Amino acid sequence: MLGYYISLALRSLRRTPVLSALMVAAIAVGVGAAMTTLTLNYMMSRNALEHKDDVLYALQLDNWDPHEADDNPSAMPWQVTYKDAISLLRSDIPTHQVAMHRWGGPISLDPSQNSGGEMRPFTAEARVTSRDFFALFDIPFLYGGSWQGDADTSPVQQIVLSESTNNKLFNGENSVGRTVNFSGTPFTVVGVIEHWQPSPKVHDLNNGSFNKSAEIFLPFGLHRSFEIYPWGNTNGWKPEDINSYEDQLGSEYVWIQYWVQLDSDEQRERYREYLTGFIREQKAQGRFPRPLKFGLSKPSEWLQLNEVVDGDDRMLNWLSLAFLLVCLVNAVALLLAKFLRKAAEAGVRRALGASRKAVFSQHLVESGCIGLAGGLIGILLTLAGLALVRQLQMGYLDTVASMDWLMMLSAIGLAILSSLLAGLYPAWRISRTNPSIYLKTQ
Amino acid sequence: MLELRPILSALWRHKISALLIAVQLGLTLAIVGNATVVIQERIERIARPTGVAVTDIVTAQFMPIAKNYDRLEAFRLDLDMIRQLPGVAAATVSRAPLTGGGSGTGLYTAPNQEIGATGGAQFWGDEHLIDALGMKLVAGRAFTPNDITEASFSSGWRPNMAIVTQQLADKLFANGEALGQSIYFSGEDNPIEIVGIVERNLGPWPNSHNAGSTVFFPAVMDTQWFDYVVRAEPGQREAVAKLLEEKLAERDPQRVVAVNLLEDKLDRYYAGDNTMIQVLSGVVSMLTFIVALGIVGLTVFWITQRQKQIGVRRALGASRSAISRYFLLENLMIATTGIVLGTAAAQIFNRFLASEFEQPALPLSTTAICALILFGISLAAALVPALRAANISPAMATRSV
Repeated sequence: MLGYYISLALRSLRRTPVLSALMVAAIAVGVGAAMTTLTLNYMMSRNALEHKDDVLYALQLDNWDPHEADDNPSAMPWQVTYKDAISLLRSDIPTHQVAMHRWGGPISLDPSQNSGGEMRPFTAEARVTSRDFFALFDIPFLYGGSWQGDADTSPVQQIVLSESTNNKLFNGENSVGRTVNFSGTPFTVVGVIEHWQPSPKVHDLNNGSFNKSAEIFLPFGLHRSFEIYPWGNTNGWKPEDINSYEDQLGSEYVWIQYWVQLDSDEQRERYREYLTGFIREQKAQGRFPRPLKFGLSKPSEWLQLNEVVDGDDRMLNWLSLAFLLVCLVNAVALLLAKFLRKAAEAGVRRALGASRKAVFSQHLVESGCIGLAGGLIGILLTLAGLALVRQLQMGYLDTVASMDWLMMLSAIGLAILSSLLAGLYPAWRISRTNPSIYLKTQ
Repeated sequence: MLELRPILSALWRHKISALLIAVQLGLTLAIVGNATVVIQERIERIARPTGVAVTDIVTAQFMPIAKNYDRLEAFRLDLDMIRQLPGVAAATVSRAPLTGGGSGTGLYTAPNQEIGATGGAQFWGDEHLIDALGMKLVAGRAFTPNDITEASFSSGWRPNMAIVTQQLADKLFANGEALGQSIYFSGEDNPIEIVGIVERNLGPWPNSHNAGSTVFFPAVMDTQWFDYVVRAEPGQREAVAKLLEEKLAERDPQRVVAVNLLEDKLDRYYAGDNTMIQVLSGVVSMLTFIVALGIVGLTVFWITQRQKQIGVRRALGASRSAISRYFLLENLMIATTGIVLGTAAAQIFNRFLASEFEQPALPLSTTAICALILFGISLAAALVPALRAANISPAMATRSV
């Protein structure tokens, strides 16, 4: 039966090419606009750490101005101070814990290995981090592994490369044990990680949620020897006399991102108690002037709190859904016109014994066909829309403005669903046709 | 004469179709109206004067390859070299504004205060700062070579004078007499005298609510967060950019150099707003087009359906223009209904956007203009089919369908 209805539908569509094209175009444009923004929102709402959502926590400590809370939805600074990070790293409660921040500098092959000499140094985005980073965020190694244990506290010149940096410097060979030159200092490669580009970059949301992740990884113990100032936000709330790098490290400036992995309820409970104790201890020393408060946010909560999907994105989402609604109303009107024009035909079919249900489903199938065609063109329009967004955003949204197969299927699904919805009333209307009127005029 | 009654009773028989068109027009008005205010706001935001010579400025920075590098020495040598280059009007070492990166501070008008700071973005620069940025001095003086200190963030240095933007001056001193007054950092008693006021500078973050409150201190900062701000003679920036890249690498090859046009950086900063403008304009035009097509389609359909009646009317003596007028009036009535519905819907939609997404309020005038345009489009869409209807011959009356 369905096959027959489809062939009827195709014949009917071919008979009114202009009207049919109009309807397909309306659905396609509506679906294209809606899917472009839905895809953006869907991609921006992804959580790359979903598989560890129950055990990972972004840590915040409320060591801020006693007179007013930090000005963000969490009312706590996003990052922690260097000295707190160093103290917290001593705790043995978390399974893994990471203190880190963004940095960068010029990198090149070691002069002795740069035989050709044509490789110019380039600026690499770095992540300065304690050694658990790779275990905590589940980043697989292509070669080697993380640096040695004392690298979190002493200046160990070891480096982990991203896959693409390894490709650039060593043509993708196993480079473990070889030397690169970072900021004029030799570093031994101890590991190369597989391509790792979470988007949104959940582990580092205050340096552009959709930016590329780091190209090289350096140990947390290097701060003093390189006098590292972070390539990220440094925030403070009180006047401080900074007369040396040591003052910077000992200051109340927040610039370190901190994550912990807590696997069991018991562990979480113990860590909460530990943090409470830690803050009390600091209060006794005259720090942490605000009411005792800390934050442990799961990756999913962290993405929400940081408003990764911003107001503009969500507003576009609403607008494009309203747009799709207009296209739907348009399709209803056109379908109604088209079906009523064929009322005589339906009348004859009814007189020959077709049930109302049969006439109804036949016309619904016809709307479905229009939806399918609209959906396919809608996918093309969505791809064009996303390409436009990538271009307009000048590279900032490259990692999210793309369509996966799930979104393509959703586009077709949305198109068929909307065209069936649009077809409901016209099909019902035509199925109520009174056959006798049409038989008479014939 | 207007045949309103027969039109109404004919419309009543097609009430669903007519209502669908009206609803379409209404929704379109709601979307177009709200999109228009957003577009307007973003365009105005981007078009704001920045206070600096955006189109003439080239920025450059370098990263030394060696670990212990004398940056201050490099600044001196580089700037001496840059100022000699052809096409360069002025150059300084500071930090490029309008790029989304910079630093801010809190300022007070009395010493030892810690609550109620006036926020501002802060820059450092030498005596060429105002000239290199192409800013306009409206009161006081620029920095002189004697004012400039070489300092670093960890040297505990405090400025003793500052230049502020007019906006920051007005915020700090409501009486309008900022020049010569002293300002203070949080909790400190070191007075910083305001020696000059510049007309405008949007600072590092033009989209922040505090943009335009900017303060400049006389220093050359030994920091990795610096830019050479080089103002080229009009029309020379590409040539200057190329020259800078070449000469900076040539003077000291042991560093990675990056040269950019300030305008490109600003475009990048506004990319999000620009996307909204383009996408919303696209939505508005596609939507209008779709609605127009819908109206054409439906009018054509109604006319074909009523060919016989039109023939009868013509046979009974109705003129061609009477037939066209009938369909145009019909369209007008539908459009009016749609626009009344739409005006209400636009307000409701706007309330939602304003409360959820902090979008600007939709003024009635914008709604009215959008409504007029939609009205026109609706009539234009009905015009061609209506004129064609007038060509239906009276002989139609005698034929069966």
